[in-house]
Amino acid sequence: MATQPASYAHPDALVDADWLEQHSKDNNVRIVESNEDILLYDTGHIPGAVHIDWRTDLQDPVIRDYIAPQKFAELCRRNGITPETTCIFYGDKANWWACYALWAFRLFGHKNVKILNGGRDKWKADGRSMTRDVPKYPATEYPVPEKRYDKEVRAFADEALAQSRNGKPLIDVRSPGEFKGDVTHMPEYPQEGVLRGGHIPGAKSVPWKTATNEDNTFKSASELAKIYLEGCGVSADNETIVYCRIGERSSHTWFVLTYLLGLDNVRNYDGSWTEWGNKVGAPIERGA
Amino acid sequence: MYPPKLDKIIHLFEMLPEVERRETLVSYADSAKKQEPRTGEQFQLEDVRKDEECADTVGVYLHVDENGKAHFRMTLGPEVQTLTRAMTAILCKGLEGATPQEILELPSDFVTRIVGAELVRVRSQTTYYILTRMKGICKVYLHRERKMASAA
Repeated sequence: MATQPASYAHPDALVDADWLEQHSKDNNVRIVESNEDILLYDTGHIPGAVHIDWRTDLQDPVIRDYIAPQKFAELCRRNGITPETTCIFYGDKANWWACYALWAFRLFGHKNVKILNGGRDKWKADGRSMTRDVPKYPATEYPVPEKRYDKEVRAFADEALAQSRNGKPLIDVRSPGEFKGDVTHMPEYPQEGVLRGGHIPGAKSVPWKTATNEDNTFKSASELAKIYLEGCGVSADNETIVYCRIGERSSHTWFVLTYLLGLDNVRNYDGSWTEWGNKVGAPIERGA
Repeated sequence: MYPPKLDKIIHLFEMLPEVERRETLVSYADSAKKQEPRTGEQFQLEDVRKDEECADTVGVYLHVDENGKAHFRMTLGPEVQTLTRAMTAILCKGLEGATPQEILELPSDFVTRIVGAELVRVRSQTTYYILTRMKGICKVYLHRERKMASAA
């Protein structure tokens, strides 16, 4: 039996609320809120936090893709972020979109990134302070990243297909009903135009929530190791691809595998089921 | 074309710059709780359900007075999104006193004029959900009234 890690591989990738309260005004720290609810930030947020929307700020409005490096630099400049700034991400829905934004920052090579453990709901439930004041930070000179790190952290459909054919680890983090093909969207969410239900052949079903406790904090390193390293064959020797429906829930699992378990060969297939389920020629499997 | 109270709200939003539009939407969202049923109120129809278009349970309560004017009350579960809360307060106020038939025939193009094209584009399901539910309960009410009239 594999030895269980006693602590996270990169414990500094997670901060708790006490740490954030102590460091929120540090010059090299920027708190970033990213939510599914597009007006939630406006109703109140952690003092000093800026708002980055997964769709309007991070996605190209015309092509299904992320913004170009120039746009990323502009986003950082107007939020007072430099390449040295430590960005602490948090948000609603157990940090789905916070992990997605963090992953997108990594896509542009921004390395100093952390997650507020438990996210917005825990912060609020603990009675911590919130404000509607929108902070203003002096614009920075964030240089345009030389490239996007697609190859390092992102997977595309043809790579997911190769992964499937080669029998390498593919993790489907959607709900069991989506995995089986009974539904094409997560429970309580609208159908978003996917023709077929099911999963990528060979994928293992490990819903994102498996990695969290009831209060949205992440499970311990030993629990996570048991779930992913022992339970679904993920290892440092094999590349792993994670996917969901549009890439946000799989960003959460990508964060767990990359930062908490320390695997540096995990990529997020952000095209996910909205691409695969509609893609001409893409094979699917149905059932558990 | 639109019920007068709704017309006024539409014009208000159209004059607002984007930042103030969002602030006003949040302010309406804050007031959504005031639309809940009050003790002793009676309704001809109640439609409380959780369906796929919304993140939590939404209850729509309809009272039509002796003059045939509709009055709505709404309950929203804690997970309901801010934009849905805002639309709840806006529509309860804007459609207060309109007839069920007027509400049923209401074109939905005003939603973009209130919320703004950008928010409609990125969260289209959310913005139209409450209007759809209000129209739905009016449809049931009118159908029932016609059935009762023809039976009589």
